[in-house]
Amino acid sequence: MSGTELNLEDETFLSDDFLRQLINVGEVDILVGLPTHNNAKTVGPIVHTIRSGILGGFPRERAVIINADGGSRDGTPELVTGISIDDMRPASNLNTLRTLHSISTTYVRSTGSGVALRTILAAAELLRAKACIVMSPESAKIEPEWIANLLRPIYRDGFDLVSPTYRRHKFDGLLMTNLVYPMIRALYGARIREAYMPEFGFSNRLGNQFLGQNGWRDGNGGPGVELRFTLAAIRGGYRICQVFLGEKEHIERRATDLVPTLRETVGTLFAAMDSDFPIWSTVVGSKPVPTIGSEQELLLNSTRVNRKRLREMFSTGVVELESVFRLILSSSTLAELQRIARLGEEEFHYSAELWVRTVYEFAASYQKSVISRDHIIQALAPLFRGRAYTFLAENRNGSATDVENNIEGLCLEFERLKPYLVQMWKSRE
Amino acid sequence: MPLTNDALWYKDAIIYQVHVRTFHDSNGDGIGDFPGLEQKLDYLQELGVNAIWLMPFFPSPLRDDGYDIGDYNSINSSYGTLDDFRKLLESAHDRGIRVIIEMVLNHTSDQHPWFQEARSSRNNPRRDWYVWSDNDTGYKGTRIIFLDTETSNWAWDPTSKSFYWHRFFSHQPDLNYDNPDVREQMWDVMKFWLDMGVDGFRLDAVPYLVEREGTSCENLPETHNILKELRQKLDGQFKARMLLAEANQWPADLRPYFGDGDEFHMAFHFPLMPRMFMGLKLEDRKPITEILQQTPEIPSSCQWSLFLRNHDELTLEMVTDMERDYMYDMYAESKTMRLNVGIRRRLAPLLNNDRRRIELMNGMLMSLPGTPIIYYGDEIGMGDNILLGDRNGVRTPMQWSGGWNAGFSTAEPQRLYAPLIQDPVYGYPAVNAVSQKESEHSLLRWMQRIITVRRSTAVFGRGSIEFLYPANHRILAYLRRLGRETVLVVNNLSSSAQAVELDLRRHKGNILIEMFGNNIFPRVGDLPYLLTLGPYQFYWFRLRRV
Repeated sequence: MSGTELNLEDETFLSDDFLRQLINVGEVDILVGLPTHNNAKTVGPIVHTIRSGILGGFPRERAVIINADGGSRDGTPELVTGISIDDMRPASNLNTLRTLHSISTTYVRSTGSGVALRTILAAAELLRAKACIVMSPESAKIEPEWIANLLRPIYRDGFDLVSPTYRRHKFDGLLMTNLVYPMIRALYGARIREAYMPEFGFSNRLGNQFLGQNGWRDGNGGPGVELRFTLAAIRGGYRICQVFLGEKEHIERRATDLVPTLRETVGTLFAAMDSDFPIWSTVVGSKPVPTIGSEQELLLNSTRVNRKRLREMFSTGVVELESVFRLILSSSTLAELQRIARLGEEEFHYSAELWVRTVYEFAASYQKSVISRDHIIQALAPLFRGRAYTFLAENRNGSATDVENNIEGLCLEFERLKPYLVQMWKSRE
Repeated sequence: MPLTNDALWYKDAIIYQVHVRTFHDSNGDGIGDFPGLEQKLDYLQELGVNAIWLMPFFPSPLRDDGYDIGDYNSINSSYGTLDDFRKLLESAHDRGIRVIIEMVLNHTSDQHPWFQEARSSRNNPRRDWYVWSDNDTGYKGTRIIFLDTETSNWAWDPTSKSFYWHRFFSHQPDLNYDNPDVREQMWDVMKFWLDMGVDGFRLDAVPYLVEREGTSCENLPETHNILKELRQKLDGQFKARMLLAEANQWPADLRPYFGDGDEFHMAFHFPLMPRMFMGLKLEDRKPITEILQQTPEIPSSCQWSLFLRNHDELTLEMVTDMERDYMYDMYAESKTMRLNVGIRRRLAPLLNNDRRRIELMNGMLMSLPGTPIIYYGDEIGMGDNILLGDRNGVRTPMQWSGGWNAGFSTAEPQRLYAPLIQDPVYGYPAVNAVSQKESEHSLLRWMQRIITVRRSTAVFGRGSIEFLYPANHRILAYLRRLGRETVLVVNNLSSSAQAVELDLRRHKGNILIEMFGNNIFPRVGDLPYLLTLGPYQFYWFRLRRV
C-alpha cells in the first residue's frame, strides 16, 4: 500500500494515490503520524507498539496510521503498512472491533523533513482527525501506553498540544537543558521541557492552524518544524500540557554533527523571536504547564563523555572565530570568553550568567543579521561545547536533585537577564 | 397461488414471524386469535411473504409466553380451536403461504400432565421422562442461560423431594431424551401437526436435548443422533417439509446441525445478526465479513436463516466481551433495555427510527446468503415498550390503524393482553399499517418493493457469495451468483457519502442494471469501477452482458 512520490511542485501537494488511500480511510478520531526514512531496523516494533496502543487505549475509535516516508530503500513503508487490520488480513491474535488502516506515502527527502509533518497535518485535516500524534521512528523502545498517554489529553481533556517528558540520562540532551528549554521558558513564560519534540500530540484545531500558516512557502516548512509547532502553540494561546512517557532509548547511531542540530533548534528559535517580539518582550517570569506524571526523571548511571575534547574545541573556537565574535558579542562578553579560554582544565568555568549573556547577544545579532545568520548559528557551536563542559563538570557527581537544581538555576538566570535581551533588541531596532 | 412441490421451497422463502396473540383479535376478548390472523393473510400476501412462522400457540400457563407448553396436541383456547387452525392453514396455503410452527422439544411446562405424573412418585412410569437427581451437583460444567432469573440448572421439587434439570426457567423441566419413550412421544407430536399440513417446524432450544457428565451439555453427539432420527422419520413419511434449528451457537458449532444434509434444513445464523448492528454503528464491514468468513460451507440442500429482530432479546451471547460492551453502550444505554445477555428492543428504536438505516439493514437481510425472517410489525417500524417486563416490550399488539385499539381488537383497552404502544413517535396513531398502505413512500410500501425485487430472482436465496473487499472499509460489497446470473450488492454502512472503487475486471464488458429502478449504469472496463453512495445507501445491480 505504499504510495507514489509527492511532488512538491504540484499544486495539489498530496499525490492522487495518497488521496485515494485517504478516501478509503475516511473520517477518523485518531491519527498517528510516523515520519520515516530508512528506519527498517526500528520501525517494525514501533508500529506494532503503536497498534497495540491504539487497540488497547482506543478500541472503539476510528484510527489510522499515516507513514510519510522520505524514500526509504530498506522496506520501511512495507513494514508500516503491513500492520493494517482489515477483513482481508485479520489479526488472528487480536480482538479488534474495527478496521485499522496503516497507509504510506513517499516524499522527496531532499525537499526537507518538514514535508513529512506537513503531509501528516494535511492528512489529519482531510480526515478530520480529532486527536493526532507524531511518533519518532528511531526509538529503541516505546511502550503501548505512550500512545494513549499522548492521545488522551487531546481526545478526552481538550488539550491542543501534548509535549513529552522522558526518563533520560542526566547528560542526555544538553542542548535542550542548557539552551532551548531555559530560553523558551524565559522568552514565552512556558516551562516546556521538550519543545523540540521527538513525539507529540496535537488537536485538529492546532494542526489546522499550523498547516494554514505561511511558513510552508518553501514547501517543507524549514528546519526545526517540530519546534516551530511548539512555538505556534504557545504563540496562539493553545492549551498545552506535558505527559511523562518513560525512558527514552535511542538506537546506536553515528554522532550527529552539532551544527545541523543548532540550525534546527537555536536557528528556529532565533528566527521566531523576530516576529514574536511583541509577545515575548512583555512576558515576565514563567509558569509551569500542566504535567501528567513526572516532569523529568534522570538516570545517574555512569557514561563516558570526552570532556577534554569539548574544552579544547571551545578554546580553539574562541581563538579562530575572534573576528566573527567581535561582530556578534559585546566586548565585555568576548573578553570574558577569551579569559576563560586560556584557563586550565581545573580552573575552567563557563558560568551560567556568562552563558546566558552569550546566548542573548547571539540572538540579538541574529535579529540584526550582523553577518550571515547561518554563520552566527555555526559560531555558537564551540561556545556551546564550552558550556557543556562546565555543565558536565558541575554535575559529574550530582544527584538527580542536584542536576535539576542546576538546570533550574540556569533557567532563572535566563529569566533574570531577560531585560538585557529586551534592551539589546530595542536598541538595535 | 398454489404451493409448489419444490422440496427446497425454504430457500426462496420470505418468512414472517408472528405470534397469534399479538396479531389480530377477531372475537373482541383482547387477545389475538387464529380467525383474526386468517383475516390478515391478505395483508401478508400483499407484503410479499410466502411463509409464516407461528410462535407457540399451545395450551400453556404462559409463564414464558407459550414456550412452557402444557399440551402439545391442542390449541390454547384463547387463540381458537384446532378447526380454526386448520382453516388458517388452508387459507394460507391457498395464498401460497406456508406455515411453520414452533415446537419446543427440550422441555415442557411444569404444569404439563407428564411432569405432574413424573413428580407424583419416584415409581411413576413417567418419572424417567424428566431428568432427576438427589442432589444439585451434576453437570457442573453447564452454563446457566437465563442469568437474570436462575442461579442453577437444578430446581428442587418438594413433591418428590428431589432435584430436576432445567436449562431455561425452573418452571420448564427438561425432557429426558435418553428415554426412547420420550423420543417416540415427541415424534408423535410432530406427526400430529404434519398430518394436519404444517410445512415445517422451528425446533426450539435443540442443543440442549441430552446431558452428559463432564461436558457442557450442549451440541452433544447424542443430541445430533436424536435430531437425525427425527429428520429420517420426517423424510420417510412427508414431502417438502422443513426443520429449522434454533441453536444460538458459533458457526462452527452450528455446522453439525446440518449434518450431511440429513439433520436440519435450516438454522438461524445467530452470530451474524449482532454483527450487522455492530458494523452499522462502527461504520465498518469488518464484523460482518469476519463472521461470514468463519461460517462454514453447508450442504447444498441446507440454508441459513437470517433475521434482524425477533421475539427475544437481541442476543449478545455469540460476541466477545468487548463487542458486547460496545453493543450495550451503543444500543442499550438504559439498563432497562438489557435482558439476560442481550437487548430487548425492536428494530426501529434500535436504529433511532432512521429510515435510511432501517432500509439498509433490511437490504442486507434480503441480500446476504440465507432466508430472511421479518418480525411482525418491523415492516411498519413499530416501536417497543421497555417498561413491560421480560421480552413483552417487543410483543405488543400489531398496529393496524390509528383507530380503536390500533385496529387490533374491539375490546375495552384494559382487556388487551398487553398495552398498545402509545408514545408520540412509535404510537399507533403515527405508525400503523393502514396509513402506510396509503402512503407511496412509507416503510411498508418500501418493504413490499424490496421483497418483490428479492423474489424476482432466485440468486439471493440460492446463489453463492463472493466478497469484494474494496479498500474503503465502510463499503460492504459482494457478488451473488447462481448459474449465469450475477448480482452485485454494494452497501454503504456509513452515515456520510462514500466513494468506492470496485475491482470488477473479471466482469469486464458487463453493464450494471440497478434492480429497483432498472436503470443502466456504465459498462465495466479495465479500471476499478467507481461508485458513489449516499449515507446508508445500497445498490443491487444485475450484471448483464449486452
